[in-house]
Amino acid sequence: MTTCASVSPEAKKPNTITINGFRISTQKLPILKADPIEEMTQKLGIAPPEMIFGDNYVAIEHEKGDWGIQFNAFDALDKVDKTGQSMLQVAYSREWQKSREKTHEGIKEVVKPFDWSYSTDYKGTLHPNARPFETSTKAIPMELLKRPDPILFFDEVVLYEDELADNGITMLSCKIRVMPGRLLLLTRFFMRLDHVLIRLRDTRIYVEFETKEVIREYLSKECEYETIREKLASTRDDVPAFMRDANRLSEILPVVEKRTERLVLGE
Amino acid sequence: MSDLDRAIEQLRACRLIPESQVRELCYKARELLIEEGNVVSVDAPVTICGDIHGQFHDLMELFRVGGDVPDTNYLFMGDFVDRGFYSLESFLLLLCLKVRYPDRITLIRGNHESRQITTVYGFYDECIRKYGSANVWRYCCEVFDYLALGAIVLGASSELEPTSSTVNDTAQSNLAIADSELETEVLDSRGHVTMSTYRPRQRSSSDASTDSRNISPPRDISAAPGQVAAPSRSGAPGTGASSDGNGSAVTSRTGAVLCVHGGLSPLIDSVDKIRLIDRKQEVPHEGAMCDLLWSDPDEIEGWGLSPRGAGFLFGGDIVKQFNHLNGLSLVARAHQLVMEGYKEMFDGGIVTVWSAPNYCYRCGNVAAILELGEDASGGGTVARSNGEFGRSNGISGDNRVVSPGRRYRVFEAAAQDTRGMPAKKPVADYFL
Repeated sequence: MTTCASVSPEAKKPNTITINGFRISTQKLPILKADPIEEMTQKLGIAPPEMIFGDNYVAIEHEKGDWGIQFNAFDALDKVDKTGQSMLQVAYSREWQKSREKTHEGIKEVVKPFDWSYSTDYKGTLHPNARPFETSTKAIPMELLKRPDPILFFDEVVLYEDELADNGITMLSCKIRVMPGRLLLLTRFFMRLDHVLIRLRDTRIYVEFETKEVIREYLSKECEYETIREKLASTRDDVPAFMRDANRLSEILPVVEKRTERLVLGE
Repeated sequence: MSDLDRAIEQLRACRLIPESQVRELCYKARELLIEEGNVVSVDAPVTICGDIHGQFHDLMELFRVGGDVPDTNYLFMGDFVDRGFYSLESFLLLLCLKVRYPDRITLIRGNHESRQITTVYGFYDECIRKYGSANVWRYCCEVFDYLALGAIVLGASSELEPTSSTVNDTAQSNLAIADSELETEVLDSRGHVTMSTYRPRQRSSSDASTDSRNISPPRDISAAPGQVAAPSRSGAPGTGASSDGNGSAVTSRTGAVLCVHGGLSPLIDSVDKIRLIDRKQEVPHEGAMCDLLWSDPDEIEGWGLSPRGAGFLFGGDIVKQFNHLNGLSLVARAHQLVMEGYKEMFDGGIVTVWSAPNYCYRCGNVAAILELGEDASGGGTVARSNGEFGRSNGISGDNRVVSPGRRYRVFEAAAQDTRGMPAKKPVADYFL
């Protein structure tokens, strides 16, 4: 069936800034319509999340065309486990299934198993001409980023989000800020499966304009839900509010994996 | 003006009513709802709405587009609360309207009308924030437990009268009407037709000429409220009924429409089985009641388990069989976000209606409501298709059930400035 002519998103141009030989752009559009979702489902082999911002992206490009990195929903979802091997189950799954054993022996087949939490270790899509990053121990200089330098460009872009059928939240989103001398891009995957697991995977891209140095840091944290809840129970915090706040959770979640890479352009 | 009318006026202005009045309202609502069956019977014409999720200003936009209560007969398929910033105002207004005009508005339960879900997804917090205690949340939850689980729409017309929004459209539809009838129509929020589908005329040629089984022409919603004319039927009422009197002359009927929040259940093969559920409780994690509020249709065969480890998915064959056995032509449900506001699946056997535009204030989707017109012919629709399992219809051989004419009104989120929301542009922050 054809679809109706709905809100045509005003022909919005991407937001852009060009600074010291770097072009930074973001695009924010509504969630995908039925036909593009169908197309994406075919290409990915899994059903995309409920809120799929398939046209959104954040991109950093070196103007010479020799380097660039982009963050988009499709490439992030392509890295989700499509086999069902790392599949989680909602908290009341056992109870639910037990109650079903007698009545529905015929219904055993799990429809299209895949990691429906949409967990991804996506670290961005590199420009085809880009030289690969090299493993490094040099951390992102946080002190420089804490300085209140003027922010020339800022944006926040959601790539996808799913409510896990009201069992928590999963979300992949980007934040970028550009200062006169440097930029920071944070792409955060946040997943909270209520009473089961909390997972946070941050990818930070740092660019120092003058030296053309690019640092990419990937930090994966996770913990069982109950462990965190017990930890919070002894504090005066508002536990439900805390559980919704990825920033605060980030402070107490244990690190599972950390990887730092570096690249100097034009070297 | 009664207290109730005052409360409605106040809530329409997005201002809350005192806690004592909420308590009284919830008490009255419960008394009313306890009398309703698990499956409420609703006569067409009716306007079917999906999830609202506390988006109060968008609910006001819905009423602007669909008409006010009691002029329009509404059926809301649950999920009034959570996610949005105005769950209280939205739900209390709907509840006031229910108590004030019980026969003009039907509320059925969504999976968010539950204690457990509302504590996680915003409604509980909103009650604490706005009333300073959990009392109002408790009153509302007690009402949730009494909400019906579904509704059956009877007497819907199979055919729509085309909306003539432009001269061109009229010419086209007149051409098309000769050997086909208008089955679906999609209108934008200004009442302009953006899409129409036709199907071959199903009825014998002898009574086609006296057809009056059509939906009332849509109101001109671009006019000022005061100028809106009452819906008028084209042709004198009853002319169709006189030629089509006992219904047995009709070779096909419009089947009833089942409305539920989520979908079907493998435990439920007939509408009557829904009637047997003891619904007056918190939404359980399992069983038929849970399925009706949680399950989703999917492009599969038969039943499947959700990869999440709980919840059912059902395919087109299940819907077809269920509709056939129960004399239904359509299952209308909500529960899933759809960018276009509505989504028909399985040859029109099921439709998802979604009524929260720009969901969570960031999805950019449009919303829709579904209007079903009244079958003015007095045909056999009502007598049959009451969900009675396996009942033969006793009328001649061809008992094909025709789906109702469906008019979708699509609308966008209320203008940003009316809701006092912070500007859309993100505020720059020194994140690390």
